[in-house]
Amino acid sequence: MDSVETEKEILRGLGDAVIAYDEEKTVELAKMALEKGIDPSDAILKGLAVGMEEVGRLYEKQEYFVPELLLCADAMNAALDVLKPHIKLETQSKPFSVVIGTVEGDIHEIGKNLVRIMYEAAGWTVYDLGADVKIPRFLEEQKRTGADVVAISSLMTMSMLAIPEVIKPIKAYDPGITVMVGGAPLTREMAMAYGADGFALNCGTAVKETLEALGRVKGRP
Amino acid sequence: MTDRAMRLLKGEPVDRTPLFPFILGFCAKNAGYPIATIYSDPQKSFDLQLWTHEQYDFDWGPIYGYASYGTWEFGGEIRMPTATYEQAPFHTRFPVEGEQDVPGLRLPDPRTAGCLPLSMEFSRLQEKHGKPISIVCGGNFTIAGNVCSVETLCRWMLKKPDLVHSIMRLTTDHIVDIVRYWSDVFSAERVIPQMWEPLAANIIISPKQFEKFVFPYIKESSEKILAMGVKHILYHICGDQNKNLPYWSQIPMGGPGLCSFGLEVDLLAAIEYLGSRNVIIGNIDPKAYLNETPKQIYGLCREALEKGRSAPRGFMLSSGCEIPPEAPPYHVYQMHKAIKDSATSG
Repeated sequence: MDSVETEKEILRGLGDAVIAYDEEKTVELAKMALEKGIDPSDAILKGLAVGMEEVGRLYEKQEYFVPELLLCADAMNAALDVLKPHIKLETQSKPFSVVIGTVEGDIHEIGKNLVRIMYEAAGWTVYDLGADVKIPRFLEEQKRTGADVVAISSLMTMSMLAIPEVIKPIKAYDPGITVMVGGAPLTREMAMAYGADGFALNCGTAVKETLEALGRVKGRP
Repeated sequence: MTDRAMRLLKGEPVDRTPLFPFILGFCAKNAGYPIATIYSDPQKSFDLQLWTHEQYDFDWGPIYGYASYGTWEFGGEIRMPTATYEQAPFHTRFPVEGEQDVPGLRLPDPRTAGCLPLSMEFSRLQEKHGKPISIVCGGNFTIAGNVCSVETLCRWMLKKPDLVHSIMRLTTDHIVDIVRYWSDVFSAERVIPQMWEPLAANIIISPKQFEKFVFPYIKESSEKILAMGVKHILYHICGDQNKNLPYWSQIPMGGPGLCSFGLEVDLLAAIEYLGSRNVIIGNIDPKAYLNETPKQIYGLCREALEKGRSAPRGFMLSSGCEIPPEAPPYHVYQMHKAIKDSATSG
């Protein structure tokens, strides 16, 4: 097998191992990728991320559920731990960054965590504020990090009322910051009425929806 | 419980569809109290719910309970909702923070554990006022999630299923213990246990996982509870549980049982799977009370009432989950208005 074939095989294997939530295999292949001189960024974006994208699709089609999704993410993260230290700073490609959190009054973070996983899988830099995040913290963190996106989650009909209070100061500070909203009690119409730029129904569509919202806000693809 | 709801349970004709309350924090706000009152002060909670039920003509009695049930009872910590956007008690520390904590888990004493003394105080008020002694005792799987966190539970379902079964064993025995204690105090035929199962929704677990980790335990506790002489069990089948309906339909809930659904399950599907043996309850979209117009909410209620007509063991109109505490009062009134109009128009 020539080196191109080997590289393709390893990248495909990384994706497949993520889909099979086989943590041992992703780690083994990540190490193999480094040994064979494969660029670790390629191993992440053309291997692990491709697998995780398929996992998102399987979740949307209700072939995978949260247990599978979490273990797929664990398999991906285990390989990332192997690969990340070997990425050269100048080749690091971070397409976008996002501040994410569950809004004040709400401790439910599984939905937010699943969305975080999908951003990470797409190679984004994620600043996760956790749950029950006080209203001013979102903007403070965006100012600190210069993140492109602020993503706000809520599961309760009470806490979702805090979302417009988060969005108002962000948009007053910089209308160019893209704001995403998601969570079980919300709809696209409500997200728009709250002043958000985009809405994701679930983690499977979060990255795609965010990219579209970014395009609308910043004219970026 | 009103005579109307009683007649429905007995399979007798009713003058109009009963209105079933899934309304807690709203009752506090409605009378100028903080939401925490509903969960921390049984007497006030009972009064607040009673006043709101009277105002809107609800046909069931006040209840004490919340979805995070199980954390405190199994040794973790919860906090009452005190801040502006908080809606219900929530966990601050899980009793199980790692695999090593599972063997140390013990069955809680239903007389002393967590919120159960408050719940018993509440049930004495239910008894005193002739209301259904309707104790909310979590849901087998949802308590498990509240014991070790949903994410841990999900990971263990695939990687360490024995740990999940160990926790499910305890939550199932705990539910049976609660109902046995309540039955000893009030007599079984007066107790109507409520189980809420939001974590078993298909947005979280698959129907196969439901079959393996949830169904056998719920079936077991239901059978044991009914064997005590309990007549009716209420299950709140919360969220999207469409793929779980074939399993739910095999769970005995009494004669009749009571099944409350979230908006994600169409009432006609609910009736098809569970309507022959159970009263169907549901399922107005909770967020509609905040976002829609009175006319739209009224329309949703009329639509639900129309679907409910085909329920062989009866139907009660309700919200699909808790009515938002901040819902405008006139929006809540639309349920009653739709029922009245529906009864008049036939």
